[in-house]
Amino acid sequence: MRERSRGPSREDSILRPLANPGTKYYVMVAIAGAVLVWFLLAWAWQLRHGLIVTGLADWGTSGGVPWGIYIGSFIWWVGISHGGILISAGVRLFKLKVFYPVARLAELLTIGALTIAGLFIIIDLGRPDRVVTSVLKSYTLTFQTSPLVWDLTVITLYFVLTATYMLLTLRHDIYALRRRLPSRFAPLYQLLAQGYQPEEDAKVSRMAWWLAFAVIILAPFLLHGGVIPWLFQLIASMPGWFSPIQAPTFLSIALTSAFGSVIIVAYIFRRVYDWEELLPDRVFSRMGSVLALVGLFFLWLQLQAIMTGAFAAPVGLLTATEAKMEDPVYWVAIGLVAAAVLYLGAQTIWHVLFSVKRVVIVAIIPVLATLFEKTLFIVEGLMHPLFNIYRTVPGSYSPTWVELSSIAGAVAMLVLFFAVVSKLIPIIEVEAEHEEKEE
Amino acid sequence: MEDKNESVPPATQFNAELAEQVAGDARKLIVGRLSEAEFYQKHHQAYLKEFGVDNRPLRTSESIDSTSAESVLAKQVSRRTLLKLGGVTLASIIGARLLGGKALAAGAPIGNNYAGLLLKGNEEQPQKVGKQMGMVVDLEACDGCLSCVYACQNHNFNSAGVFWIYVLAYRDENTDKPNFLTRLCQHCANPPCVKVCPVRARHKREKDGLVLTNYDRCIGCRYCQVTCPYGVNYFEWGVPEKTNYYHPKLTDERGVWVIGNPPKGVMGKCTFCPDRQDDGRGNVVCALVCPHNVLHFGDMNDPNSEPHQYLRQKMKEKGGNLSTFRLLESQGTKPSIIYIGQQPTRSAQQIDGPVSYADWGLVEKRLDVLEGPQPWFMKAFGGGQ
Repeated sequence: MRERSRGPSREDSILRPLANPGTKYYVMVAIAGAVLVWFLLAWAWQLRHGLIVTGLADWGTSGGVPWGIYIGSFIWWVGISHGGILISAGVRLFKLKVFYPVARLAELLTIGALTIAGLFIIIDLGRPDRVVTSVLKSYTLTFQTSPLVWDLTVITLYFVLTATYMLLTLRHDIYALRRRLPSRFAPLYQLLAQGYQPEEDAKVSRMAWWLAFAVIILAPFLLHGGVIPWLFQLIASMPGWFSPIQAPTFLSIALTSAFGSVIIVAYIFRRVYDWEELLPDRVFSRMGSVLALVGLFFLWLQLQAIMTGAFAAPVGLLTATEAKMEDPVYWVAIGLVAAAVLYLGAQTIWHVLFSVKRVVIVAIIPVLATLFEKTLFIVEGLMHPLFNIYRTVPGSYSPTWVELSSIAGAVAMLVLFFAVVSKLIPIIEVEAEHEEKEE
Repeated sequence: MEDKNESVPPATQFNAELAEQVAGDARKLIVGRLSEAEFYQKHHQAYLKEFGVDNRPLRTSESIDSTSAESVLAKQVSRRTLLKLGGVTLASIIGARLLGGKALAAGAPIGNNYAGLLLKGNEEQPQKVGKQMGMVVDLEACDGCLSCVYACQNHNFNSAGVFWIYVLAYRDENTDKPNFLTRLCQHCANPPCVKVCPVRARHKREKDGLVLTNYDRCIGCRYCQVTCPYGVNYFEWGVPEKTNYYHPKLTDERGVWVIGNPPKGVMGKCTFCPDRQDDGRGNVVCALVCPHNVLHFGDMNDPNSEPHQYLRQKMKEKGGNLSTFRLLESQGTKPSIIYIGQQPTRSAQQIDGPVSYADWGLVEKRLDVLEGPQPWFMKAFGGGQ
């Protein structure tokens, strides 16, 4: 390995975040903590007074929209959680060694984002206190018919698979670094590496392979290309949703936001801990290329939806499509993704255009654009139902301070999650086994 | 509630005083201080004077006696049914555990919550099983007076802008005069809302096919509202404005809280007054108060029920040339309401009816009044919207 010959060893670099934090760290944690507390207060306000404090209302005679930014955020965060595990699974299954350095970061992003996504479902409920009892009481029946229950089931399965996968691969690292990890967290490490034996590595590696295999089937085909779009595409009363193209579209959006957010998270860690060696330029260049590819796929599917909806569609679909095409927010979102795709594609071909900073800035764009697109998809869909006789339709929706606080609160949660986890466990895998095998 | 009703006299072209008296008596009827027969008789003359007709089902003294005898009988039956239902529920729990999805795929009713819910190709499944309460709605007779809307809202203690029954006035192709569409829950034989509910709070009552919401079970995800093609669901976004002070938690004969307005954070919609079905009265409040005999409530699977009789009679009157339709039938929901009249086309435009919602002291667009409390710091910024 190049980096071993000079400067700090790979192990030293990996252990850098686990050192005692400095002032900047505490400032960041304090800011994120304050935002989180603000969000929790806003949520308490909503729990006390009901969802009336949101901008939501019934569709139909009320002139409202029953789902809004909470459901949009739910889909967005689930989408982000995909990138992580797909990158990681890709490393295991297809030996994509270029992404190896970001594999664990990506797994952590999966776990953090998925937890936040689940939280958004809870926030959106009128009676969150009942969710566990009510769902369990009728699970044997609802499991057969309700897409929302399919979602809960698949997300739970996905979470368990991902967490198991990560814990399995973590055991080896904790054992390898056991003498150098901060002693104050010793009980945690003992728990994580409980009963570890060096001989288990081969077996764990096989188990991780099968888990990666399961995840690579589950995540694209059953989760974001399955139960998540099914929440909408099976609903015949909303023509803007009722189309089999939703599944591939959702998947392309998930991958776009996922690769974008992995780039952002990886860049932040590289900046903070001087990890130019551990997270080299080519990782960003390649992830940018993949982002360009999935972004292009997203744009292509949008074209399909618009062509079908605008040419000679049934009235309901035509109305919904026309409304979408007249909305400037939609075109801003599409334009932003297109611009990002153009640059990221170009830098793949002409390396002179590449710089890590540029890729990161361009990666932020589709991540934000997909949040807009998802919220718009839900709201617009509900504004143009098949039964369009109500004068007050289309309804209107504008999120209130409570709803906007939830977006900030969720980002703060992710920041805190990484702030805490990076102080507890090595967030880059120790053993460069994949690289060594390949070279 | 009392204050609200009295303080806003409906300024309609109809006799406002009469409307107020009828509304007052309707409340007495609801709480049982007035029998239905008395209720009908009381304002019969005034109705004739005002409208020239009174098509409400007036009964003679004999039929009053038979009704009360019926209701006693129905109560005894209902207790027996209750025991039976208990057995069915127990069997269904065990059955569901043992069979998993098999029982459902076969279309067999395996529980109280499930009867009538068709999972796939509903054609091959028997339709005429048991009761399916529904309505024949004669839109040709409706003049948009909104009596039903007002009665329903007050009967169920619903918040402002919540219309379990809603009368749409609209202008359509080829007609100049306003048409009306009385939109209530269609109590579908194949309800999509029941299918998607993640907790089976929304269910179809086996006994009579009513589509109901278990207010103790609902988690307030609003998926039923999103899925319903008719837009009949109204969520309780905040603390309910009114409470039913006689029965804060009104349960049906199964002991499930399904009647009246929902609590905070729970979905509500037209229920077809399950308490009235359970105790043998067998009617619904909107149909009772309608002065023009528009709403005909009964078992749609029974060819001799009142709605079917009305349909036949009307057909005879029109010489077999009667236009009927079910709403959005192509959605495959199998709605239990048959409308008499012209189906609104895609170009139907909603217009102001002869009687406005404000005339009755009702808020038509709920979004206008759905404003939650603002904390002091948001007030300082001039509101959070």
